[in-house]
Amino acid sequence: MASLFTKEKRIILRRRIGNFWMEFRSKKIGMFGLGILIFFVLIAIFAPLLTPYDPIAKERIAQAFAKPQWVTVFPQYKDLPTTQKEVSYWNAEEGSEFVKNWGTTATVLYDTKARGTETVSVKLKDEISYLSIPPNNFYVTFQWGTTQVQDVEYSLQLKIQDPEGKDYVLWTQPTSKESVSQVVFVDSTNPFVITNLGYPTQTNLAEIIFSQKGEYALLLEMRFTPLSENARVQVTVEEGELIILGQVHGVLGTDNVGADVFADLVYGARISLMIGLLAAAVGTSIGILVGVIAGYLGGIVDEVSMRIVDVLMCLPLLPLLLALVYIFGKNILYIVLFIGVFGWQGLARVIRSQTLSLRERAYIETAKASGASGFYIMSKHVIPNVLPVALASLVLAVPGAILFEASLSFLGFGDPRVPTWGKMLQYSYGFGGFTRLAWWWIIPPGLAIISLCLAFVFMGYALDDIINPRLRRRR
Amino acid sequence: MKRVMVAIFILWVVATMNFVIFQIVSPIDPVGVILDPRMPPEVRDSLRELYGLNRPMYERYLIYVKNMFTWSFGVSFRTMTPVVQELSYRLPATVLLLGSAMVATIFVGIPVGILAASRRGSKIDVLAIGSGLFTWGVPVFFIQLLFMLFFSYYFKAAFGFALFPVRGIVSVPPPSDAFVYTADVAWHLAMPLLTLVIGGFGFWALYTRNVLLDALTQDYVVTARAKGLSERTVLYRHAFRSTLPPIVTMITLGIPGIVTGAMITEWIFTIPGVGRWYLNSLMASDYPVVQAVLFIYAILVIVCNLAADILYGVLDPRIRVGARR
Repeated sequence: MASLFTKEKRIILRRRIGNFWMEFRSKKIGMFGLGILIFFVLIAIFAPLLTPYDPIAKERIAQAFAKPQWVTVFPQYKDLPTTQKEVSYWNAEEGSEFVKNWGTTATVLYDTKARGTETVSVKLKDEISYLSIPPNNFYVTFQWGTTQVQDVEYSLQLKIQDPEGKDYVLWTQPTSKESVSQVVFVDSTNPFVITNLGYPTQTNLAEIIFSQKGEYALLLEMRFTPLSENARVQVTVEEGELIILGQVHGVLGTDNVGADVFADLVYGARISLMIGLLAAAVGTSIGILVGVIAGYLGGIVDEVSMRIVDVLMCLPLLPLLLALVYIFGKNILYIVLFIGVFGWQGLARVIRSQTLSLRERAYIETAKASGASGFYIMSKHVIPNVLPVALASLVLAVPGAILFEASLSFLGFGDPRVPTWGKMLQYSYGFGGFTRLAWWWIIPPGLAIISLCLAFVFMGYALDDIINPRLRRRR
Repeated sequence: MKRVMVAIFILWVVATMNFVIFQIVSPIDPVGVILDPRMPPEVRDSLRELYGLNRPMYERYLIYVKNMFTWSFGVSFRTMTPVVQELSYRLPATVLLLGSAMVATIFVGIPVGILAASRRGSKIDVLAIGSGLFTWGVPVFFIQLLFMLFFSYYFKAAFGFALFPVRGIVSVPPPSDAFVYTADVAWHLAMPLLTLVIGGFGFWALYTRNVLLDALTQDYVVTARAKGLSERTVLYRHAFRSTLPPIVTMITLGIPGIVTGAMITEWIFTIPGVGRWYLNSLMASDYPVVQAVLFIYAILVIVCNLAADILYGVLDPRIRVGARR
């Protein structure tokens, strides 16, 4: 960059920027806006450090509509538990002579040497203590497999035992003679699991099972029936998990699928900033170019571009952009382009009228007389002089673009692959955020939109004050 | 007259854009959609006739433009009802909501602006500036969602009934008594209306304030004061009178924005108006409706722009139409 300018020009430029900064610094409202903006930029940059969750993956990390964790400081919520995640630790409870190793994974090797041809049952036990109020969901997941199956029938059963010793069967592997390898996932809200236990489908199973505080156990029961003297099978149980979904979670709770809301909010700052700045930059650049060229060249070019501006001013923007996004695809780049391409008409008019008056100035006449080309005059003399106006307009175009994108997203026309604040509002509106009174899902994205937009509005207000001194101190 | 020509030109551009977007660019083949096998044959034939589907592209284009300008928008794919007829069902709700919102917004905004200008630096001035900046940075739909959350859902959770209903424009089933019916509609419209006013009055307040402040520094106001006229007379008879042309122009120019912007309001509060109809049709690829509504919106903008120009000339005889830069 530096090589573009001579030393003198660099000094002049630095001085101009310095003066501008001095003036801007004296505007409290502008500095306030700048502060908010910097805050959001930092959030956007450090998003991965602020939250461990990925907003795209939508990991289920607590129950749906879990409240923020900090509400537990209020007495009425103080008992609400966070997510309890238990990694399995299997111990041999019965038939320990067959258990070859135990711990987070376990291996059971059955053969007929020890007990001959009687049916044998082996029990693995994983102890869990649950000390909170009854939960609404839990799930168990583990992976198991059998190898070296030979002349044997076996079956497996997974149970939860409550502190009083009552068993609940969660999963059954029917009698088999084949080798199997599978991942088991048992969800307490699964209607099959619930009806197998004899409850109506709408029952809150987690609440019934974990109704008391105390020592629970996961039991994995295996039965082996040998079919000959040489019966043999090895069962491997890989690391499993019992997850009791929390009723409070993180900074801002969870959404309708139990994913972290704070992650959405933090990553949304990136998208909103990007959309706002890019779309405004596209619009402003087109506006400057068209305005300067139309104003400087005049004639047919001027006439044609001003008619285009007229047409653009008459387009119903929101419905038109909705239609365009619908037809071209819900892609963030299209959205940015559309907002930019349909958002330069006002600026073009202003720049054009400025250029018209600049064109008559003596120094431009001089440049013309000394043989400067139109391109040279426009790029060296006209554009630098309209830049301050364009800067103010750029800053004021950003909140417009952000709001526009938020509206599109809210109506369901946003890019489905990126987390945006508008989409958060759309989901909370469409997926029960209101009926569940999930304020932590509704209010933060809105406040984020407002504060980011107001940051730009404040800065634009301050810039306008500097650039249009006519309006200054009028009150 | 030149302006009318320009308006018609713009309308033609919009119609062409519509054609290009929906019949050429669109990934969904319009012919395929229109010739849905479930349609009764006579409807299909009339559609074929209307769009000239079996003709070359340029003829189709000419037919299309003619249809747009003669108000033949065809038949909605979803309901098989003529678009014009459907439009007449949707229009009342939109007109009622937007008309009242517009009037209320202006009647709140302009007085605030006048007060702000006459008492510079006072609290009301801060309110005018603040609410004006607010309209730039606050999405109205978020205000609406907040109102909905607190006055409907939280209110219901706390007191067992919602202060304002969350959906529709009238209860289901609608009350039979005319008075109760009116009250019911008013009750349903209260929240959309209130939020639209809160989200929008700041614009008018700030605009009025700035225009009026500009007027108050003019020489004739100084003269009027010097003559010893009361501050009221100076403010209303002299200064405010001169601000009418820009304000009226702004109101006329603002109508289209309010109409299209209220699309989201209709969406949130499930108001069976044109905006919601448009969104639903768009999501269902019901292109005849989408094109018709887009075209009507464009007409509205053009007519409003034209009206603004004419009104400006009428209200301020000093301005020659056409001489503005």
